[in-house]
Amino acid sequence: MRVVRIGLGKPLLVVTLAALPVFLDLYKAHVAVLILLFIIVAIGLSLVMGFGGQVNLAQAAFFGTGAYVSAILTSTYGWDPWLAAPVAILSTCLMALVVGLPALRVQSHYLGIVSLGLAVALASVLTNATFTGGASGISKIPPLPVPGVDMTDDYNYYYLVLAALVLLVALARLIAGTTLGRRLRAMRDDTLAAAASGIEIPSYRLLAFLLGGLFAGVAGVLYAHFVRYVSPDTFGLDTMFLLLAMVIIGGQDSIWGVAVGATLLIAARNLLTGLDAYQQLVYGALIVATVVFAPRGLAGAALAARRRLPFPWPTLPLPFPRRSRPPVVAPPVLATSRSVASSALALRVDEVSKRFRGLTALSRVSLEVPTGEIHGIIGPNGSGKTTLFNVISGIERPDGGRVEFHGRDVTGKRAYQMSRLGVARTFQNLRLFHRLTVAENVMVALDRDPARMHLRYLVAPWSVLRREHEYRERALRLLAEFRLESLAEEAAVNLPYGRQRQVEIARALAGGPSLLLLDEPAAGLNAAEQEDLKAVIRRVRDAGVTVIVIEHNMGLVMSVCERLTVLAHGKVIASGTPLEVSQDPRVVEAYLGRGTVRREAV
Amino acid sequence: MTWVLQTAIGGLSTGAVYALVAMGFSIVYRTMGLVNFAHADVVMIGAYVTVTFFLTARLPFGVSLLAAILITAALGVVIERILRPLESRDLNLMLIGTIGFGIVLESVAILVWGSFGTAVPTPIPNLPLRVDGLVVTTYQLLILAVSGVVTVLLFWFLDRTKLGTAMQAVAMDRVAATAMGVDVAASNALAFAIGSGMAAVAGALVGPLLYVSPGMGASIGIKGFAAAILGGFGSIPGAIVGGLIFGLVEAFASGPLSAYSDLITFVVFALAMTIRQTGVFGERTVDRA
Amino acid sequence: MLRLERLGAVVALGLLAVACGGQLAGTTGGGSHAPIRVDMIGTFSGQNADLGTWAWDGAKLAVDQANASGGVDGRKIELERFDDQGQPTVGTDLAKRAISDHAVMVYGSDLSTVTLAMIPILTAAKIPEITSGQAPAILEQGSSYIFLDSTTSAVFDQTLADYLVKKRHLTSIAMVTNNDAYGKGEHDSFLAELTKLGVKPTIDKVVTPDQTDFTSVLTEVRATDPKVLFIGAEEVETGLIAKQARSLGITATFAGGAPMGTPTYLQTAGLAVAEGTIMTSPYLSNDANAKTRAFAAAYRKAYGQDPEFHGAKAYDGMNVFIQAMRKTPNDLSGPKLIAAVRSISYDGLLGHFKFDERGLGLHATQIGVIRDGKIVPV
Repeated sequence: MRVVRIGLGKPLLVVTLAALPVFLDLYKAHVAVLILLFIIVAIGLSLVMGFGGQVNLAQAAFFGTGAYVSAILTSTYGWDPWLAAPVAILSTCLMALVVGLPALRVQSHYLGIVSLGLAVALASVLTNATFTGGASGISKIPPLPVPGVDMTDDYNYYYLVLAALVLLVALARLIAGTTLGRRLRAMRDDTLAAAASGIEIPSYRLLAFLLGGLFAGVAGVLYAHFVRYVSPDTFGLDTMFLLLAMVIIGGQDSIWGVAVGATLLIAARNLLTGLDAYQQLVYGALIVATVVFAPRGLAGAALAARRRLPFPWPTLPLPFPRRSRPPVVAPPVLATSRSVASSALALRVDEVSKRFRGLTALSRVSLEVPTGEIHGIIGPNGSGKTTLFNVISGIERPDGGRVEFHGRDVTGKRAYQMSRLGVARTFQNLRLFHRLTVAENVMVALDRDPARMHLRYLVAPWSVLRREHEYRERALRLLAEFRLESLAEEAAVNLPYGRQRQVEIARALAGGPSLLLLDEPAAGLNAAEQEDLKAVIRRVRDAGVTVIVIEHNMGLVMSVCERLTVLAHGKVIASGTPLEVSQDPRVVEAYLGRGTVRREAV
Repeated sequence: MTWVLQTAIGGLSTGAVYALVAMGFSIVYRTMGLVNFAHADVVMIGAYVTVTFFLTARLPFGVSLLAAILITAALGVVIERILRPLESRDLNLMLIGTIGFGIVLESVAILVWGSFGTAVPTPIPNLPLRVDGLVVTTYQLLILAVSGVVTVLLFWFLDRTKLGTAMQAVAMDRVAATAMGVDVAASNALAFAIGSGMAAVAGALVGPLLYVSPGMGASIGIKGFAAAILGGFGSIPGAIVGGLIFGLVEAFASGPLSAYSDLITFVVFALAMTIRQTGVFGERTVDRA
Repeated sequence: MLRLERLGAVVALGLLAVACGGQLAGTTGGGSHAPIRVDMIGTFSGQNADLGTWAWDGAKLAVDQANASGGVDGRKIELERFDDQGQPTVGTDLAKRAISDHAVMVYGSDLSTVTLAMIPILTAAKIPEITSGQAPAILEQGSSYIFLDSTTSAVFDQTLADYLVKKRHLTSIAMVTNNDAYGKGEHDSFLAELTKLGVKPTIDKVVTPDQTDFTSVLTEVRATDPKVLFIGAEEVETGLIAKQARSLGITATFAGGAPMGTPTYLQTAGLAVAEGTIMTSPYLSNDANAKTRAFAAAYRKAYGQDPEFHGAKAYDGMNVFIQAMRKTPNDLSGPKLIAAVRSISYDGLLGHFKFDERGLGLHATQIGVIRDGKIVPV
């Protein structure tokens, strides 16, 4: 037996919600059902925008799609509502994927306008087509048949929607707290770093939209059979902005915040009538104020308040049977991935060129790095070092030349593909997932499951939790190697700079790479941290990983690197051992100008 | 053929209005990096102020328009001050913050002028001029003329005046401009004032053509933004091209399938954006993640 | 996530308290001197706000006069208004609200689209509903609880078509209608009447209720060179269509129903454009007879402006129900009230009302022409 303390919050909430209809008159019960439905749609929007970072101004249109498809099938064609429902939900998901396609090519405000435009386009179809009933909409939608229960009764319908909401909230929270949610958030926080950590960005953008569509579709079906009348005006811009307000006021990636935000906004709108223009004014001002003063919304405010006034919330001790979990057998932390057959030459860059609109960043650059070597790349600022890394890691596509990784031609492969093959990197300007914790940063890279594994959320959610537990264990062990495990739950961005650098390296290693690219890892580190860094680099190499380092810190470069390549103005001007290179007059000239005294190798 | 030309005429004149909206939008974006979704409601306010002077105070249209430009420009400076904290926020917040502000503007309009709306007579007698079987109305010509004048003035300002050049500098490199002694805050306020003034012109011109109501910003706004993006966000010539293209596409789409004109227009737009992500004149920053 | 469920629980408890509080204060129940609650659900915002306001003004005048003369058996009538914003789904919400408020009857809506959405809900709750809408579809819902305060598009358009074709021999008629319930009703009725008279419209175009630019549609209309342009849309939209038609060079005479008899149409289209418009309505002028003059005087006194058709029909509609309520003052339940309505015969401003099983009480309209901003009977 073990005792688990359960906060009274959840049970109290469930009991309150279950008992609520008893106290409400017909109109308020009606409003309560509307609130529950909007919470579902808003959670969907939160998943797309708050978690996935995808601007989706078509969520209200998705809501409408689910409602209309269900309405048309049941009212016009006489289908059984329970058969029409999955068709409607699938149609909405399909619509969401179509609207999400532009997200593969455009983001942020461009995506906003495109999705808004498509929403307007959809509204146009609803208002004009005869099969949608035009401006008058579709009436006489049959109720959902439940044997023995009158589903035209708003009170009964409340319980149906409540059940759906509980299930969907559970799904949303499961997603939020595990691998899918984490990947979405990583993609939102820093798309490049996410791709470099192995996340297949195009799929996840679509997945974000799909989630939004799924929730909106379910809500749409339930809505159609509740009001039993659909018309275009319900799913237009006003509703879209209302949903946006709910998500922002609630706190973009907080499921509970969104639910509270939705409740407050709908209750205010429906229960305080009269003074409509003033109401709208307050609502608009509230949105602006929230964005300016409390951008994290209610969730952020609650978090801040909780820190300041810890309230001794009552808890209930409950006995639970002891669970036996098999111990996590994790592979050795710094083992290399087996995804690419090892060969003698880890990396071969052959005559690679890269131009940016007239500026030549790289000009026929060639280098070879044998497996297990620590290789340094040095050169004055602007010589193309980071561009070279970008080409190797797939963030940039070269304009000429070839890149071979363990004998395999990987020229032009994209960042997440390179990550999958075993290339990991850190960034010059430190790209951590700033709103994820330290542990989560590492778990993103550690988790190598392909996207199709997410089906488990629907068919075997418990396996998701089990996997999650494994990832956490492995992440903590990796962090322990860097003495970071005590900071595992801190927001990554709160750590001191040197520690953040370490987290970035830990994250890069978490995926078990066979090639590690470090871009100016010593920048901003003090002497002790630099020693630590050297030790890490050597330990990593000893575990079989090939390391390439861009650095300006000559002390580090000279002591740790076995061979160097020197770049200047996008060309290789020298390569060899550190000693050879430091005595090469072309190198001296590039760094210090003509006629300077030679530096001693450290 | 008559139909093609006639539709093109209609498309060009609405396109000119979209171009004005798009230019105002782009100026603000290019100097401040602020995507201002309340811009459309500024168009609406501009229309209402013009109408108030024109109908209620019975001033000549030209005078009303100038007064509206000045008032709306002043309003723009105030808006800039309010929205300044949003400039550095992430896009979602900027989006929603400016949308919220737009809602505030709309409710203020309802409180001041009522929710009902007004029909506005054209400032000049709107006579159809028959040219070769085509009808061009005098008002359409006025729209094209005024839009043209405003555009030329804008280019002259940006290229030939010190203030305008300073604004271009801020757009290119804010830090360097500050180092050169440009007062960035004042420049931004000016950019906003100009953008708002142009919005007022757009609103005033389109009012007699359609209908002035608190909700009129919505459809013009979306199309104006889309036009700005189609032409290349932040590019002034792009805004003009985008606006005209949008007007034409919309006019032609509403011909045979008038019911589905919005559908066609925006699907075409989505495709165009997907094919060329940054619009006609925009810079390429392709996301290779 | 965060322990925001605590906040959620607090909020839920708060709402519960509000709801309970509301419940305790809410129910007034019956009682012989409790006011009789009547809910008006109309369009009080947006482009069609005039319609709701006129209906409110007319109905309120009737209620105030009735209350001043003893109410219903000593009980006062309490008229409350709610804004459906021109949206059918808001209408359905408000219908539920009326049920919760224990309204004896609902006056609403002025838009046929919203009315149609509300009928199933109110009928199921056995609450009588009288509407200013006129789409024929309203009478085809199979409900005995719905009544019209004037007549349907079918009647309007029969009068109009007969006048245009038989009296004036105008057979080159183009049609532009919108696709909401009213516009569709106008379209179908007018087309049916033309067909009966052996006339085919030169062109038949459909637009949407919130459209403001009609250039392409009107260009097509112009190409058919009609002598008459029939417009079936609400007031503002009709005015815009007319205005844009003239600016495109269309010289056809405008023809239509009730919307063209309103000051809104005149203002939107402009006096010059509206000149010569042929319209049909049961109520053409405030000066028609002693009754209308008395009504206009009372209206002017109460609201400071002249009434028009919509205010008049709301006045009539409310008075029909007031008379019915006075006939069965002890039992105002739905079935009794609708029986009472059907049993009375009422001479109103619009004509003689006698309601059939479907809810139609008025069966004729008149023809008027706009001259110099005024409607002149023909």
